[in-house]
Amino acid sequence: MSASAQGSSETTKAVTDDTQYDQSGAPKDQQKAAAELGEDDEFEDFPAEDWAKEDTELPGGNQHLWEESWDDDDTSDDFSAQLKEELKKVEANKRS
Amino acid sequence: MDAHLSQIREALRSQDGYALAAALTPAAPANDPTRLHTLYRDDITLNAVQAEIRHAVTYHDGVKLSKAERTAWTEVFGNHWKAIVEIVNAEQGRERDSSWTKAFEAWKEVLNALIRGYQTSVFEAWSIPCLYVGGNYLRKFAIKADKQAEIQQGSVTFNAGFQDDIVGALDQHETLEEAGRQINRIYTLCITDRAPLEESRKWGVYYVTNLLFKTYFMLNRISLCKNVMRSLQTTEPDLPPLDAFPKSQQVTFKYYAGVIYFLEEDYAKAEQYLTSAYELCHKDAQRNRELILTYLVPCHLVTTHTLPTPALLAPYPRLQALFTPLSRAIKRGDLGAFDAALTAGEEEFIKRRIYLTLERGRDIALRNLFRKVFIVGGFEPLKEGQTEEQRIRRTRIPIEEFAAAVRLASRVPGGEVNGGGFGAEEIEQDEVECLLANMIYKNLMKGYISREHGKVVLSKGGTAFPGTGV
Repeated sequence: MSASAQGSSETTKAVTDDTQYDQSGAPKDQQKAAAELGEDDEFEDFPAEDWAKEDTELPGGNQHLWEESWDDDDTSDDFSAQLKEELKKVEANKRS
Repeated sequence: MDAHLSQIREALRSQDGYALAAALTPAAPANDPTRLHTLYRDDITLNAVQAEIRHAVTYHDGVKLSKAERTAWTEVFGNHWKAIVEIVNAEQGRERDSSWTKAFEAWKEVLNALIRGYQTSVFEAWSIPCLYVGGNYLRKFAIKADKQAEIQQGSVTFNAGFQDDIVGALDQHETLEEAGRQINRIYTLCITDRAPLEESRKWGVYYVTNLLFKTYFMLNRISLCKNVMRSLQTTEPDLPPLDAFPKSQQVTFKYYAGVIYFLEEDYAKAEQYLTSAYELCHKDAQRNRELILTYLVPCHLVTTHTLPTPALLAPYPRLQALFTPLSRAIKRGDLGAFDAALTAGEEEFIKRRIYLTLERGRDIALRNLFRKVFIVGGFEPLKEGQTEEQRIRRTRIPIEEFAAAVRLASRVPGGEVNGGGFGAEEIEQDEVECLLANMIYKNLMKGYISREHGKVVLSKGGTAFPGTGV
């Protein structure tokens, strides 16, 4: 996925930054993380200083961005079917 | 050069800070790609250049500057000329000893001249965009200088062996750290200005704060960002409200503030800032939107247990690749697929510092799985006089059923048992009870475990899985 960002110089960076900023108190994996964040990962300067409200609106609007984490409609999928089978087995075992 | 001088003159005359900042910008705008080369003159002395500048800002109608102002701007643009020479040299590798370090040092003199102008109260607040250009390019040149030094050191250490390698490594961000210190001076210059708000350098605070955030993030000094945040909070009553600043500054500030809260695991605040950043962001700033969502998505998972819709991620293939497999696994309660997706994206998740937050999604996946067990369990038989609508779900569920579900859901495609999950076949009743107790403790399930009956007794009336409708 990030193979392109893994040039040899990046690898060196990752090692060295760990030693340098060990005192920052950040959890280990966050440190490893930051070491590899480079210029390309930075929040970019906007071409304009300011803009109107219309310029913040994506086509389709800012609606329906988030949805619930469960899905009751997919009870017919393989997994749910398997689950039903499995639970039947549990039931059967108990009876026997 | 003449165009440059009249640009400066006109900006000073009309007191247009952004126009003056444009004249100071050490880069070529899109409509004038040869700008730096036009300004580049190595066949002339500093005195001669300063004479030209002084002349340009003095003997013309409409430019009414005090002697101190004339001298101070001449100082700034004289240093600017010197810096341009170093920058063009560094870009082209023109001189044998040219380097981005020299360009950085030359540009630092421009910034110093600017800072002096404000410190001595010669420059007025309308010209603060010049400080933005000063700080922003100091950072950019510092990054280039460090990169160049790293490459050069790399070739040296290759020959000189291990010892130098360590020394070189420690100095890796030396120039950028110096840039951070200089930008911090600008920050102080802005935030401590006591002039009335309408003519205060306090209007520069957020721009400079954003520069500091970018610098400290690259240096991985998040603790320094927190210091800035604290300083801002203390001064906030005396600052103009954030929404009075240009949107580019608002959005950048809110993004970084959001990420800082995110890293502190204050997800409620993080969500507030990131959501606002997302809503105010320019619609064409695709990359910045993508960055905001990189943190907003894990944030939502923790705060509201919601997932991004396909429509939200559609414009960002990179985010789709990052989040879609996880989201799908969470929705299906598929623990094996969740662990597989987390492992597959691990490198990128860690790099983005979102791994630990996303890992919490496993609880949601498990909740969804147990919820399925509940739903598949169906309803109690109808009692006399009860209608279909009144029937109630079976709320006493054997722990074995949950165990069977966990076993099933921990399988990864191909039949192998996932190492990150549970030893699927030998999952113990105790382990499942522990998972259930955890769900109940986290208020993802409501009920209690009846060990003597080997059952979970769930809450009736649509509250067994709070917030999910059952």
